[in-house]
Amino acid sequence: MSRAETADERAPGGSGPAAARATLGWGLLGTEISVLFRRRRTWAMLGALAIVPVLIAVAVKLRPAASASGRGPAFLDQITSNGLFVAAVGLVVCVPLFLPLTVGVVAGDTIAGEASAGTLRYLLVAPAGRIRLLAVKYLGAAVFCVAATLSVAVAGALAGAVLFPVGPVTLLSGDTISVGESVVRSLLVALFITVSLLGLSAIGLFISTLTDVPVGAMAATIVLAVVSQVLDSLPQLDAIHPWLFSHYWFGFGDLLRQPISWDSFGSNALLQLGYFVVFGALACGRFTTKDILS
Amino acid sequence: MKTWQKWMPAAVIPVVIAGIAIAVPMSADAAVHLPAKTPAQVLELMASSSVTAFSGTISQTSDLGLPSLPTTGLGSGSSLAGTLALLTGTHTVRVYVSGASRVRVQQLDQLAERDVVRNGTDVWVYSSAGNTVTHATVPSRDRHRAVPLPATLPTPAEAADRIVAALQKSSTLRVGTSERVAGRAAYELILTPTATDTLVGSASIAVDAATGLPLRVDVTARAQTAPAVSLGFTSISLARPAASLFAFTPPAGATVTEQTAPRQHAAPAPSKPATTPPARTVTGTGWDAVVTIAADARTRTLTSSKQFTALTSVVPGGRLFHTSIVNVLFTADGRVVAGSVPESTLAAVAAARSK
Repeated sequence: MSRAETADERAPGGSGPAAARATLGWGLLGTEISVLFRRRRTWAMLGALAIVPVLIAVAVKLRPAASASGRGPAFLDQITSNGLFVAAVGLVVCVPLFLPLTVGVVAGDTIAGEASAGTLRYLLVAPAGRIRLLAVKYLGAAVFCVAATLSVAVAGALAGAVLFPVGPVTLLSGDTISVGESVVRSLLVALFITVSLLGLSAIGLFISTLTDVPVGAMAATIVLAVVSQVLDSLPQLDAIHPWLFSHYWFGFGDLLRQPISWDSFGSNALLQLGYFVVFGALACGRFTTKDILS
Repeated sequence: MKTWQKWMPAAVIPVVIAGIAIAVPMSADAAVHLPAKTPAQVLELMASSSVTAFSGTISQTSDLGLPSLPTTGLGSGSSLAGTLALLTGTHTVRVYVSGASRVRVQQLDQLAERDVVRNGTDVWVYSSAGNTVTHATVPSRDRHRAVPLPATLPTPAEAADRIVAALQKSSTLRVGTSERVAGRAAYELILTPTATDTLVGSASIAVDAATGLPLRVDVTARAQTAPAVSLGFTSISLARPAASLFAFTPPAGATVTEQTAPRQHAAPAPSKPATTPPARTVTGTGWDAVVTIAADARTRTLTSSKQFTALTSVVPGGRLFHTSIVNVLFTADGRVVAGSVPESTLAAVAAARSK
């Protein structure tokens, strides 16, 4: 075991066994993703996320007057005039809890799930190396982040298009853009939110290496997501706010201005990269020194 | 590989990140070498500034010793809440200026924005929160001149000009250490009040060495090291912004209000009591000047709100709104007395005026 992973860390450069190992890595990733998306739980979570914007659209359709009061989540009062805003409202509603919840379940399950099912040692019997397994598990969680964000955005756009008129979109700055450009902006927003969740995924991966009880790792990850947001809302702690992984979660609004403000996108990407590197290294340290008993 | 070696990256990476987090701001603050100038020369440089087109991001922070308010509960809906929001925390504003008559100011809030666009004689105020537009017309004689825009923060240049115009005579001027603001080398002009009874310790203006454009204004209270109010560019470009930015059409579905008599003080959004037109008297000049405003409907609405009671404290003769650089006394008979002076001075002015 230890010989295989040592070679793995030294990044072999394209020779015979290394190439074989590289295909093994891609094969492993393919297997991981197909296992993830063949699970009923994954589809249940994606479905639950997709229902959120649909519910919002139906509720506004049934009582359009109630949404004009100016209360409720951002963009809610815009839905009746333009269905494309359903996706935006859906994302605003899902970002604080539902998305971190589902990502926490997937990321917390990565290693601990295999350990509790007794399949972890079989995965490590193949000469794949522990770090490669971690990388594959993390990429699997990242793919889920993309799928989760897109399911809210796409379900919202579809529900809005079915129930409400669709037309040029008003940005936060008061400028109007065409439907085509609004699709580009929506995809950018989805990208922003996906990036926002990568730090949380790394934390979940690390916690997952600490335990053999997947539920514990999931719960701990979700609790951290909530704690981070609570800390971010306390003005007394503003010194640590820029370091909290949830600090830029609502920064996607900056992509809906004219011209686009990329500042928060860059800061968010850098912050998430920091969390990825720190918790990725912690996960590697823990997982490569762990005794795999199950 | 030994166990400790496997944990090495996990130990080293946070240290590296902490190092970068400390080193990057330090290198930004690294000493800037500029030819020495006297305060008069810096003032001259400021006055000679001929920048007419720029775009940039301005950050405004206030640390006035007020209780920190959660940012979520306060919308820009109520005027008092709007004013209070400006007095606490940090605000980001993007400005685009192309000559005096084409200006766009965007106040960026979380998932909301307020835009003020001036294009020639048209002034539009757009608020994304209520999807509302207010339109006003600049008199055609002012078509090519700068006019104060409603509901916007001043740019550092405007704030600096006002401070210098009003307070230069009652201050001692000196040039501080050169610094880098928004990536540009700048002189620091420091105005220290000659009066001893004001709450303000000093005001400093960072003047761009190349163009003379004021880049940042800090006001520091006495016995406080961090600025009480800071208004400065975090990034600036001297390129002329695209003309399309100033072409504003009210979006479909927005509520448009036409403002028939565009007066400078007829701001649709909160304006400070100091801009209230009638019955306003100023006692003294310079830093320790005290403004007295007679009771009218506006002051009564202000003092009857719930937040007012929460933010002011009872003092002999009325209620006091206290910050580290400004005190406002609301007397029992409805007058408002304000100034950068201790409460006792305000009380004395109020007592003298009521006789």
